[in-house]
Amino acid sequence: MTGYLSLEIRRGVRNGRFLGLVVAWPVAAYLLFSAVFAKQPASQGLSPKVEIMVAMAAFGAMGSVLMATGPGLAAERRSGWLRQLALTPLDRGKMLACRVVAALVLTLPAIVLTLVAAAVVQGVQLPLWEWPAMVVVMGLGCLPFAAIGVVVGCLAGGEGAAGVTMALYLVLAVLGGLWVPAKILPGPLRALCAALPSNGVARLGWRLAAGAAPQVEAVLLLAGWLVATAAVAALASRRVVLAR
Amino acid sequence: MSTMSGNPQGPPAVVLAGVAKSFGPVRAVAGITMTVNLGETVALLGPNGAGKSTTISLLLGLLRPDQGRVELFGGPPDEAVAAGRVGVMLQDGGLLAGVRVVELLTMLAGLYAEPLSIEAVVAMAQLEGLEGRRTDRLSGGQAQRLRVAVALIGNPDLLVIDEPTAAMDVEARRRFWRMMHEQAGHGRTILFSTHYLEEADEYADRIIVLGGGKIVADAAPGVVKASLGAKVVRFVAHGAEETELARLPGVLSVEVRGSRVVLRTGDAEASVRAALQAWSDLTDLEVVGAGLEDAFVALTS
Repeated sequence: MTGYLSLEIRRGVRNGRFLGLVVAWPVAAYLLFSAVFAKQPASQGLSPKVEIMVAMAAFGAMGSVLMATGPGLAAERRSGWLRQLALTPLDRGKMLACRVVAALVLTLPAIVLTLVAAAVVQGVQLPLWEWPAMVVVMGLGCLPFAAIGVVVGCLAGGEGAAGVTMALYLVLAVLGGLWVPAKILPGPLRALCAALPSNGVARLGWRLAAGAAPQVEAVLLLAGWLVATAAVAALASRRVVLAR
Repeated sequence: MSTMSGNPQGPPAVVLAGVAKSFGPVRAVAGITMTVNLGETVALLGPNGAGKSTTISLLLGLLRPDQGRVELFGGPPDEAVAAGRVGVMLQDGGLLAGVRVVELLTMLAGLYAEPLSIEAVVAMAQLEGLEGRRTDRLSGGQAQRLRVAVALIGNPDLLVIDEPTAAMDVEARRRFWRMMHEQAGHGRTILFSTHYLEEADEYADRIIVLGGGKIVADAAPGVVKASLGAKVVRFVAHGAEETELARLPGVLSVEVRGSRVVLRTGDAEASVRAALQAWSDLTDLEVVGAGLEDAFVALTS
């Protein structure tokens, strides 16, 4: 089982398209936005360069998890590999657990490099313990996205999965307030924004950057999303092996 | 645990009892009862659509039967699979892309309690020199050999192979069967499906013939081959009696409708020669070399 997990992590790290998309994109976006909005006033007690750092780290992390689960599972379902794997002692539940853990591990490049860019290029300074805490909290906060990725991988056709994943990625990121601050969204969208898991992940990071304890609402929001998406994933995953 | 199953004791490797499976209105498997004993090599022979792949999916637990019971080594298929006792080569079994051959085999070996060594499996599947190659950069034949390695890596007691040679050329096919012959020699139980009578005849201890989702014959290869190798002779002869026709040399079965006669025969020349002597007014003579499909129709009717 650890062999499967480590092989899946290695596959992710070697995948150039994956790294280009979910690592280079948030880092590049951070460098751009943090320079453009440098003169904006602080919000939530955070300077723009910190606020945007957290938003882009969350953006990269959720993208890593979505990309590491959905498209791969869909392709392997179509190629018959998942069927072959189901005929080894690694059952479906363990297989999916490995994929989720691998996806969480694969959030590391995006989060770490975004934080490094912030520290090195924009001179962001945080108490030392907050850096690793940020990596762990935002990474774990992406668990609901892993369940969403499993659902996409189990239900979408092999070709469709990449498109569906990309659409979900962008919609959840934009409406979740990662690209534009929630406060400039129109009223109804603002309520939606606060209810999305992408916003929950960012809120965990913003609070941490402000030196405050995690926001209970954000934790509950993500827990609720996790329960709901994991339930759907459990149902959808029956198709992984049985569907022809 | 995964012992080589030369041991004749213990429950049979495969038992299907009254197994049926429909997909919507299509009855893919219509009540199959069969047993594969430990150490046997059994062929599932039938034309496309006979229910071979569905039967294999059922016995591996990939599909649940609507009716009937499936057992591998005396227990549910899932348990035998979880215990690593089954090695499988599926027609549509994919390989993991983006990894090297040796990485894939090492990962799989780690899933089993008593796997074969990577070196042993590489040698068995004739993958020497390809260990460092990425799985998505293998030729068709090399990928097929890697599938053999994937099926063998867990040192399985039962090997299940669905239409292994469908996409192989003659040389690859010969090479594949040499590998399988060696595996049977190691005491593994082998169940393979094919639509080539020659393959089933040459490599199986026993042939189970499927047609229309049912077992049409379950016999030693020689018996099945004789019966499937039969030809169909048709002619029109007035006053030919069924009993007389049945006495003609080589005749296996007789059908008479008015003056129209249909014979199935294992020796078409002898049957025809005798028929021409017996009925000089015989017309519309026709001899059809029963292709496998025709032979199945003959067997099922």
